[in-house]
Order: sequence, then structure tokens, then C-alpha cells
Amino acid sequence: MRKFKTTSDIVLDIIIYIVMIFVLLVCLVPFIYMFSISISDPKAIINNQVSLFPIGINMEAYRQIFQYPNFFHAYRNTIFYTVVGTSIALVMTTLFAYPLSKSYLRGQKFAMKLVIISMFFSGGLIPNYLLISSLHLTGTVWAMLIPFAINQFNLIILVNFFKSLPEELEEAALIDGLDYFGILIKVIVPLSTPALATVGLYVAVFFWNDWFNGLIYLSTDQYPVMLFLRNIVNGTTMVGDAAGSADKSTIAISIKSAVIITSTLPIIILYPFLQKYFVKGLTVGSVKG
Amino acid sequence: MFKLTEQTNEPLKRHIKKYWQLYVMMILPIIYFIVFKYIPMLGNVLAFRKYQPGMGPFGTRWVGFTYFKRIFKDSAFWRAFKNTLVLSLGNLIINFPIPIIFAVLLNEVKALKFKKFVQTISYMPRFISTVAVVAILGELLSPSTGMLNNFLTSIFGIEPIYFMNEPQYFRTIYILTDTWQFTGWTAIIYLAAITGISIDLFEAASIDGASRVQQIIHITIPSILPTVMVMLILNVGRLLSLGFEKVLLMYTPSNSVVSDIIDTLVYRTGLANQNYSYATAVGLFSGIIGVILVTSSNALSKKITGDGIY
Repeated sequence: MRKFKTTSDIVLDIIIYIVMIFVLLVCLVPFIYMFSISISDPKAIINNQVSLFPIGINMEAYRQIFQYPNFFHAYRNTIFYTVVGTSIALVMTTLFAYPLSKSYLRGQKFAMKLVIISMFFSGGLIPNYLLISSLHLTGTVWAMLIPFAINQFNLIILVNFFKSLPEELEEAALIDGLDYFGILIKVIVPLSTPALATVGLYVAVFFWNDWFNGLIYLSTDQYPVMLFLRNIVNGTTMVGDAAGSADKSTIAISIKSAVIITSTLPIIILYPFLQKYFVKGLTVGSVKG
Repeated sequence: MFKLTEQTNEPLKRHIKKYWQLYVMMILPIIYFIVFKYIPMLGNVLAFRKYQPGMGPFGTRWVGFTYFKRIFKDSAFWRAFKNTLVLSLGNLIINFPIPIIFAVLLNEVKALKFKKFVQTISYMPRFISTVAVVAILGELLSPSTGMLNNFLTSIFGIEPIYFMNEPQYFRTIYILTDTWQFTGWTAIIYLAAITGISIDLFEAASIDGASRVQQIIHITIPSILPTVMVMLILNVGRLLSLGFEKVLLMYTPSNSVVSDIIDTLVYRTGLANQNYSYATAVGLFSGIIGVILVTSSNALSKKITGDGIY
């Protein structure tokens, strides 16, 4: 083995570290900047003094959004959609994935085909929209939840994971007198935490970030927080009116940043804890049906 | 003791009696698939039928290819079609190689804690909502207070540019935000492929005096080539499905020349103007092209790598 680094190795190391630090900066700077704008002194923002780090501390923007009834309401709606939507999705996906993982079950192949075909060809936006309205789901929270109960990719992740569990466990449980529901609840689910956490994270992120379905199906008081944010950005919802002495538009920018930070933070805090699961879930479960 | 995996030709009645609970589990999900996946699929017949408000989602009478004929004469459709192709090809050319390069370089980082840290941070943008991404973009690029314009003005003395509104910047912004959001995430697959390479190969090369650059060129890259091929084919198959929500959020009347893609056209003509049948026909047309792309790229994958995606 070579003991000394060659010039090319040193050059490579330098390039690698420059690239990695660049990646870190590119990923982090937008958030740091948003955070700084949200807590900086309005005067400093108007005078373009805030380049990256906050100048003067001013929590006015946060105080305002927390007094803003619509923001709270939208935030609560989002939490509701995320919790209920993720629960429905996990139950439904598990219920389907378990029988689908049994290749000896008659009809399993057919059911799997049903799933795969629907991945490649789907009803477009309009047929879906018309379906939801003819089911009278428009204007109800169910329009945000039920249509997304099963995502085919997540289903396949779970099917593949269940297939990888040793069959002997199940045989033993059957001999011990458990039925299939019992096995699913008492044996399979507890063993599947990594896969369920992966799927749960994907689904929770989907519901947390969804705004488009809220836009086309819901009424204003049912809006999720991302739709609230979108309406601030495109000017449908006005903020910063109560800004007092400071420049209105500047305060609006601070408020917008504060909404971005508060609505994004929960997911950003959550995902690193699940990292070891989803990295595995993505590489093991995806792509291959 | 009975075996679970026995593939006997037991009578159907006995089979169902033995496994009825597994069938019960499937009932709700199957109903879900029929109602929420297959009925909308059938709903595509609306492209050949006239829609009347309040008369059900499948339309009222057959009109044949009327709407398709109208599509092919519609300049707005061809503009959207061209915009979709240009944007997705540009996206593929830029954002296909970047995660591969990132994965290869990240794999060379020897300080494990730093490597893990970079990885974790690089996933973060993937979890951000499109709304937040476009909102952040709007602030960073704002002509009055935005960071980029401040920088350009103070360093180069350039007049502030309204990036989000100018058509010539739309594609660049779309593609670069995709780079920002998905590079770290997509790299996971390549990193997994690199981790699968036998360490013996690198050790042998190292003993033979190969530098790390040579090892990358002669071991790492050739070893992940099959993964690269599969991913490329997958991406070609998805060519027409752009990030509809991001385009819709970035859409302004002044950049519509380049930002109107097929999906936004469907949204505008269908939901905003309520031309349901026409919009369904546009959606169906791009859906069919999508299926052709996916199946033919998969067939190609089977031919080249001996392995398809499904």
C-alpha cells in the first residue's frame, strides 16, 4: 500500500472538500437568510443591510403571525390532515401489502397487476376532479385524505419488506393459535418499524406539504398552512397591515419569512431522526416491483 | 405440520376457507383502487364525450375525435408541448449527471462524521414543500430586497433584475431549484450502488499504485454504470411528468411564453375555464405518450442491461 499521498490525491481532496462545503452552503444559506429576515430589524431590511445574518433582533413578525387567526387555523388544519391522513394511509397500505406479500395466495398476482397498471396509466387531473365532486367530497376534509390513502410506490416498499421477513415466524404464530389478523398486528407490524417509518415519513411529508388539493377541493377555512403561505406569496392574502411605523412591504417580507420558517420547521426537525430508515427503505424497496 | 408455501392445487373453497382473513384484509384496499385509481382511468373517456354540467363525470354523448382534432389545431397546445419537452430535456441533461458526481465525490470523503453531516443536510431540501421553495426563491431573487440582486448590484453594479418575471430566466430557475431540491436525495441510490462495490477491488488497485482519481475512473464509475443506465431509462420514461406544482407556482402572465406546460394547460382549460372534455383530451394525449415512453424505455433497459424496472 502506498504510504504517501500523491499530488493527484491532494488535489482530489481539495476539490472534494470545496464541493462539499459548497453543497452545505447552498443547502443551508436560504434557510439562514429566511430566518435572518424573519427576525431582523425592519430598517435594516429596507436598507438592504441584511446579507446573511440577522441585524437587530425583532420578533414582531412572529408575534404577528401567532396573533393572526387564519395562520393558527391553517396550521391546525395541516396537523389534522397530516395525522389523520398518515394514519389512514399506514393502515390501508399495510392491509393491502400483507396479503400481497403472500405469493401462495390465489389472486395475489392479479391484485399486484392491478396495482402496477395503475402506476403507469392514471386518470388525469380532470377525471379525478370530477370523481371527487360526484362523490360529494368537494368541500369536505375527506377530499384531502381518502384519495391519497394508498401510494403504489409505498405499497411496493412494504410488500418487499414483508416478503423479506422469515416465514417460520408466521408458522410458529399459527401453531400458537394466532389467526392472520393477529399475526399482522402482533408479529408483522412490530417487526416492520423501519419500513413503516419510511412509508410514514413519505406520507406525512406529502400531507404536510400538500396545497394543490386544498386549492381545488376545499373552502378557505379548511385551507392547510401551505396554501395559506401560497396565498401570502401571490398576494391573495394580505399581511403586514398592522405594521405601524415601519415600512409595510418590509414587514410583509418578515412575516412571509416567519411563515416559511414555522411551517417548514417540523418536517426539518423530524427527518434526520428517520434517516437511517428511509435511506434503507429507498434503496431496498423502491423501483423494483 | 402444514407448510405455508405449499403450491398445491387444493380446491378453491378450501383455499378461501384457510386464508379468508387475508382476503378480508384486501377488500377495502381493492375497493379503494377501483374507485380512486380505475374509475378516473375510465373517466378518460370524457375526452371522446361531451360534458354537461351536473350530468355525471363520464359525459353525455359520444363526439369521437372532435377534441383531439381541436388539440392538434390549437397553438396553445403546441406551445405547451414544446415547453414541456424543452424544460424536461434541459432538466434531464443538467440534473441527471449532478447526483452521480455528488455521490462519487461524497464517497471519497474519508471523515465519516463530516460525510454523514453533508448527507443529512443535502436531503433537507427534498422535504421542503414546493410552496416554501418558490416562496424562498421569490425572496432571494426579489428585485428590491433579494440577496442575489443586492449582491449583483453591490459587486457588479448591475441594475436589479426581476428574475421571477422574466421569461428568459424561467427555465434556468426551474432546473436549478430542482438541482437544489433533489441532488442529495437522488444520490442515495448511487451511494448505495457504490457501497456495494467490493473493497478488494480498491485495495488491489491501491497496491498496484493506482491513485484515487484512477480508482474512481476505472473502478467506481464502471461499477455503478448499470445503476446509472436503469436510472437514465426511468428518467426518460418520466420525461413528460414535470413538477407541475412548481411550474404552476412560478407561473406569471409575463413568463407564460415558456412556463405554460401541458399540465398547466390542462389545469387552466379544465379547472379554471371548465372545458372539461378538452382538458381531459389534452391530459389523455400526454398520458399515452407517457405510457409509450415508459414501456419502450423499459424494453430498451431489458435489452441493454438484461433487467427491466418491472
